Amino acid sequence: MSSIKEKFNQISPSEFFYRNRDLAGFSNPTRSLYTAVREFVENSLDACDQKGIFPDVHLSIKAIDPEKPDPKPYILTVKDNGPGIETKHVPLAFGTVLYGSKFGLKQARGMFGLGATMAILYGQITTNKPVLVKSSTDGKIQDEFELLLDIQKNKPVILKHTTKEVTKRGLSVSICLEGDYAKAGSKIKDYVYETSLITPYATITFDDPKGEKFHYSKIVNEMPPPPTIIRPHAHGIDVETIRRMMVESQFEIPTIDDAMVEKVRKDLGLAKNNLSFTGIMDKAKKRWKTLSRPVRVVISLMSFLKMDFDKLNKIRIDDIDVPNKKLYYWDFGDSQSKSVDMDPESSYYKQLTGTVQGETLTTFLTKGFQRIGPSTAVKFAEFAGFKPDKRMGTMTNEELVRLSDSLQKFEDFLSPDPSCLAPLGEEPLEKGMKKFFKPDFCAVIQRPASAYSGFPFIVEMGIAYGGEIRPGGPHVYRYANRIPLLYDEGSDVVLKVVNDTDWGRYKVKGEPPFVIVSHICSTRIPYKTVGKENVADRQEIERELRLGLQFLSRKLAAYMSKRGQADMAKKRANLYAKYLPLIAQFSTELAGKTKEPNYKKLLEEEIIVDDK
Amino acid sequence: MTTNKSKDRKQKANEKQQNIIDALKDHGAKVYGDLDNGQFPKLSIPSRSVSNIVYDKKLRQYILGNSAALRSSRNSSQLRSFTQLMWLAFFANRLTHEKKSSTLRDVYYSSQAFEIEFEDQSESDNIIVDLEAVLSKPREDFHIFPEERSSIFGDLNIEYTIPGYEGKTMNLSNHPDGYAIGPSLTTAELVDTSAEIVIAIEKGGLFTRFVEEQVDKKFKSIIINTGGQAPRSTRTLLKRLHDEMGLPVIVLTDGDVYGEHIAMVIKSGSANAAHLRDLTVPDAKWVGVWATDIEKFKLPTIPMTESDIKRCHDLQSDPRYQEGIWKKELDVFLKIKRKAELEAFSKYGLTNITDKYLPQKLELAKSM
Ligand SMILES: Nc1ncnc2c1ncn2[C@@H]1O[C@H](COP(=O)(O)OP(=O)(O)OP(=O)(O)O)[C@@H](O)[C@H]1O
Ligand SMILES: [Mg+2]
Repeated sequence: MSSIKEKFNQISPSEFFYRNRDLAGFSNPTRSLYTAVREFVENSLDACDQKGIFPDVHLSIKAIDPEKPDPKPYILTVKDNGPGIETKHVPLAFGTVLYGSKFGLKQARGMFGLGATMAILYGQITTNKPVLVKSSTDGKIQDEFELLLDIQKNKPVILKHTTKEVTKRGLSVSICLEGDYAKAGSKIKDYVYETSLITPYATITFDDPKGEKFHYSKIVNEMPPPPTIIRPHAHGIDVETIRRMMVESQFEIPTIDDAMVEKVRKDLGLAKNNLSFTGIMDKAKKRWKTLSRPVRVVISLMSFLKMDFDKLNKIRIDDIDVPNKKLYYWDFGDSQSKSVDMDPESSYYKQLTGTVQGETLTTFLTKGFQRIGPSTAVKFAEFAGFKPDKRMGTMTNEELVRLSDSLQKFEDFLSPDPSCLAPLGEEPLEKGMKKFFKPDFCAVIQRPASAYSGFPFIVEMGIAYGGEIRPGGPHVYRYANRIPLLYDEGSDVVLKVVNDTDWGRYKVKGEPPFVIVSHICSTRIPYKTVGKENVADRQEIERELRLGLQFLSRKLAAYMSKRGQADMAKKRANLYAKYLPLIAQFSTELAGKTKEPNYKKLLEEEIIVDDK
Repeated sequence: MTTNKSKDRKQKANEKQQNIIDALKDHGAKVYGDLDNGQFPKLSIPSRSVSNIVYDKKLRQYILGNSAALRSSRNSSQLRSFTQLMWLAFFANRLTHEKKSSTLRDVYYSSQAFEIEFEDQSESDNIIVDLEAVLSKPREDFHIFPEERSSIFGDLNIEYTIPGYEGKTMNLSNHPDGYAIGPSLTTAELVDTSAEIVIAIEKGGLFTRFVEEQVDKKFKSIIINTGGQAPRSTRTLLKRLHDEMGLPVIVLTDGDVYGEHIAMVIKSGSANAAHLRDLTVPDAKWVGVWATDIEKFKLPTIPMTESDIKRCHDLQSDPRYQEGIWKKELDVFLKIKRKAELEAFSKYGLTNITDKYLPQKLELAKSM
């Protein structure tokens, strides 16, 4: 991703992604049609998840001219019953790249803020048609936008905006794009099918261009709780992020303009009457506790400048030189730069330095990160070689790098908080698998939360065997944050783990009818590409996958040997039914009897295994 | 013309028949009773595993020890072979009642009419051995015969007992190719003979030579071709000739370790048939070709093979080879590591064996 960031500076993001659309999965008409479907369906599911709405998503693909051979233009429409998007955000959400609401640390299908826009962009490039977005946030009024994207400027162009009365909430996006359904069809059907397996609480309908309808109703009636946003974990941080966080936490020296002076006067209750410098200071002392931080800073400055409001209006603060305890300002009246000394013993001095130098390291850590309390923060400071009350604002570049490195290396942080994750849960997963595969045997497991480089993740897995499952398994269904992964199978970590398993050890032989489902949930899935198709093999994730699969495989083995025993018992019963009558027949003649012995009760008797 | 002696014999044969039928009926009734009482029937089969085969010095043959395996119809892995065994008993019962004979191969095919599958003939052969062990009677007693036939020639009158031929008589020197030893002959009554000795010879070629050279007349003998290792029917007949007609038996084989063992099996049986008695002629004598004869008669030889040598070592640990000529000849074979066939005598003329060698050996046999 760092190379992408660098390029941002030279060209507009839209332009960049136009040039690099292969990366995002828009390489050819087949792949693009599939990716576009995915991006819109996933946005709809994300939006519903976030608001705890049972999703009802309707996907339709129609050829503009059905007679034409593929590849040809299609109209792709995805409609949902989600929260919709507020009127003013619609053009931004769909008309600019890197605009998204999902950057915060929580689990969602979308990550980059460019999926929908890329699809729209692709449609626009191949067919030169605008995107049609209909959105209603209240179920009464619906906005309808026709948008084009200005690729050079990364800006939406609104062709048309109307409103209409409706009765349902939700959002619908419709684009026109060049696609190849003949080739992409089976993947899209797979995608819809597999998506409905991992979102058993959703209803998904797909009308395909050939007039076929695929409908998957929801099969579970409880929704996994929506994921929450949380602060980052120290292990997942880099220098850039620390800088951004520092800016957010630091108070700048307020500009002392008319509005500011007005505010200070008001807060001191001096809106009407003018007081001398000392009068102002007395008043401020009395009200200190009720004053806001910017007001306190202005008062502190005044204390060193020894100025009243009138004088204050005629200067501009230039610099606060904390080490030399000097305050520099520009005097408009004399048109020259002046300075005053600051008394380090004064409480105003502390107020000023605190503002300029930012928070202490320990405060910064406990406020900015999850899982860091005051004592951990102190321990860390020692580990990293900083004073605990080191001011963040005084950090040099080198110190920032050292801080960032130490944050990665320090091992006593608690592991990341997984509460921001939204795994599907064992019960819905099992229900979904049973409904989908109609197996003879099914087992699922949710591994405890774990983390890789500061990002929490949870692995869920399921195994199903026999029943209506087709032979030739294991058939592996891979998911990440409830997205099915269908392309680039070869290089995926899940497949690596599955392929490493010696199934013979678990009594699974030949061309077994069995299915493995794996679901990785994380605030950041380590995808190998922006196309979100395969997961890189992070050691921590691989380990969890292995443990999960081992657990399930052992359950499967236990089932298989039981199944083997049941098969044997059946076979045995058949043996008795076959041979006992013969024995009866032979013994009757040997014994010189005419009537056969009554051996029937032997057949009914529960036969005990005697494996000698 | 039925003499008292033959009446006796007939009665004896009938008794034997009846014994088999009774034994089969007993087993059948037990199985029938078990089934009727809601019990899974089982049969006890004397174990034929190596550990249960012991040499009985008194009987001078290998016999089975006391251990037996239970074959239960309750055990699903034994159910099939239990049924096969029951079928065979049933089949043998019919054969015996109807006085019909059948071969090992017949048995294999007959089973298919009763939904009893044998995987191959060796499986059905094994079940036959099981039944032999259960009844401790050779398969010939319940009318199942091997394919291999050996032959007999000499002045011996017999009277058939098989259906359709009952009472018919025959002299076994009427046809120069000899007579095949099959079920009709083994069950026939041995009426009388002028012979004073039985010569069992390993090879068909030499048998023909002996007939041509009138060894039967010259040496008052009955000549039997064992065709290699003597089949059980032949051994039964040898035993009957010895026991019923009072004839001594001598054996003439190739001069190698296999020949020596052919003679031993006639004398004291094989480990394969340790479950059976009445197949041995403990007084039979091996008269040649000995290892020591090779030197003595300056016979052309061929070197022993690896497997010949291994066989020598194997037999050295057999209790029957611990003394007498058995031990001595084995040692010499191992020392000279060469062997000679019966035909080797032809170097000195085709009739050398009957003119020179045989008389010497017959003379020697008297003192053995
Ligand atoms: N169906 C929808 N209902 C409500 N909001 C939506 C819907 N579709 C998109 N949005 C909003 O538009 C934003 C942009 O969507 P986009 O697909 O471009 O990015 P993303 O989903 O955040 O990330 P990604 O690039 O990984 O898909 C989303 O973050 C979301 O806030
Ligand atoms: Mg998206």
